[in-house]
Amino acid sequence: MPESGIETPTADSLRSWLIDCVATHLERPADTIDTSLPLSEYGLDSLYVLAVAAELEDHLDISLDPTVMWDTPTIDALSEALVQELARSA
Amino acid sequence: MTTASPHTTAPDKELTRLLHELSAPGLAFSDQVLAALDEQEAFPADAIRELDAFGLPRYYVPAEHGGALDDFGTIVRLLRAVSRVDLTVAAAHGKTYLGAVSTWIAGEPGQAARLARHIREGAVVSCALTERHHGSDLLAGEVTAQPVAEGNGGWRLTGEKWLINNVTRADQVTVLARTDPAGGPRGFSLFLVDKSRLAPGALNHLPKVPTYGIRGADISGIVFRDAVLPADALIGEPGQGVEIILKALHVTRTGCVGMSLGAGDRALELAARFMTQASSQGRRPAELPCVRREMGEAVAALLLAESLGMVAARSVHALTGEMSVVSAVAKAHVPAQVDGLIARLLQLLGPYGLLDADPHRRFAKLERDHRIIGIFDGSSFVNRNALIEQFPRLARSYRKGRWDEEGLAEATDPRAPLRPFRPQELRLISGTGASVVASLPAAVAQVHDLAGSSASHRLVDLAERLRGATDRLHEAMAAVRFSPRAVPGHAFELAERFELCFAAASALHLWLRGPAVTDEARLRGCLVKALTDLDEPVDEADREDLDALADALLSAPPGTVPSLLDSWEGTTR
Repeated sequence: MPESGIETPTADSLRSWLIDCVATHLERPADTIDTSLPLSEYGLDSLYVLAVAAELEDHLDISLDPTVMWDTPTIDALSEALVQELARSA
Repeated sequence: MTTASPHTTAPDKELTRLLHELSAPGLAFSDQVLAALDEQEAFPADAIRELDAFGLPRYYVPAEHGGALDDFGTIVRLLRAVSRVDLTVAAAHGKTYLGAVSTWIAGEPGQAARLARHIREGAVVSCALTERHHGSDLLAGEVTAQPVAEGNGGWRLTGEKWLINNVTRADQVTVLARTDPAGGPRGFSLFLVDKSRLAPGALNHLPKVPTYGIRGADISGIVFRDAVLPADALIGEPGQGVEIILKALHVTRTGCVGMSLGAGDRALELAARFMTQASSQGRRPAELPCVRREMGEAVAALLLAESLGMVAARSVHALTGEMSVVSAVAKAHVPAQVDGLIARLLQLLGPYGLLDADPHRRFAKLERDHRIIGIFDGSSFVNRNALIEQFPRLARSYRKGRWDEEGLAEATDPRAPLRPFRPQELRLISGTGASVVASLPAAVAQVHDLAGSSASHRLVDLAERLRGATDRLHEAMAAVRFSPRAVPGHAFELAERFELCFAAASALHLWLRGPAVTDEARLRGCLVKALTDLDEPVDEADREDLDALADALLSAPPGTVPSLLDSWEGTTR
């Protein structure tokens, strides 16, 4: 069971979790994060986003290849990819 | 530097014997010949030929591709044996493994088989990552490869790679090149460039760069001008270059440890030789308590580094998914520890380290040569940064007591059979944190259980203090917060402490799994050294353990240095 208490994360719930997570790292308000922009646009460099992947793994209690952050570089694309990944590992 | 036992026909023992024979006056590995080459900044070609004749290249090729490499520890021990004699030779020869490893990790079977054959036949392979204006920043690279439209595909490579070991001598070069003009982590690809297949004029070598140490090495550059590469030069898929090379570095950084350990062996041996010679007043410096204490601390430093090195090399097989942490710890800590050891011994030797008592200036050369180890294959700064990025995961795993028990048992028991290395299990960040450290509290509890029987109360006390320091460290690591590209300075200090805890935990695990004969005094020396470097209070009684290590060194047969490996000799399971 995921530690977050979310029973089955949806693309929407993942998106809002990611927005909060990214906003915390960037120390800026969540409503200034555009989910269609690559995270690198916000200065989250290629190694830093791998740490975000580790947080995602802990949040969802699944094992991810951290390079998912490179292959799906926007919050929108990442949320969709994670939903598929969760469906596969369910 | 242990004596050969009838149980082992280990290749590093064979190589050590050969190097000893070849160090007779006038031969390729003699001090005089190597010192003269260093002075002339000339490449040690004869020494390299001897290593080829010994068959060292076959250990750069994994067994599945027809080579002799089935235990990464073998490479570490072989490089250590060569580095004990000369770091320039070790860096020049060992580079072929760095050049090849990306193909072992991600190449097509046919591509790997071809490279394996070339290496066994003596080909030199280099690896060209850095560029003149970008240093360690691989994503800033400007060398580009564009698909060739005509013919059977292929790539057109253009640009300059600079400060590359062996790039002029190399027959083949692994090159990281930008394949997407926009760059980014998926914007680069790796190519294995066979120089003999390029059109005339497609490449130019840049002159050798004079260097502070390893003066004879071929540190140079290469310029590609519309060099057309065949389609099969690509390693892995387009866009995978950065991922592959970062994983390759997890392996090669671990290999670098062997070079530092060899340099450390040499430093101790040279210092011990001097300290046990009578001075003009008829007194041996080794009789002075302050000298003995310093020598003891140096031995402890090397044993601590060796513990980490042994566990790291086995982790390539046993804790593959944790190598992003293990390799960063090993590459940041071991060269720094050995640099420190050399500096302290140099102080102790005073002018004799640099002058007349050392006619071939061996110690001064060693000091210069070793400086590079902390820089190449990712500097200590780069490696510590990689650790800091993983602090949240490391702190969490430690707090929750999560580790990979099976992998840990295999990594910390040199007698356990080693599973084959599976490159596909390498991960850019560790999924489990650091099993060696997360299991430290459990290991300390085990030492408690042994109290009064096979563990002395002094050891229990030292282990307990290590655990306390490690607990506090992980609380501090968990509190580190930073925004991208703004890593706070104190986090680097915490990373250094994490390395010390990792090294000390390695020593403790090795002892717990060791044969009953394993010397507790050596473990205590390691723990005293680690606690000292962690700025934990260490009293006189603790430091007396260091004197015992000094005695072990100073009474050792000429040319030998105490090693943890001594305890494991002939104990196969």
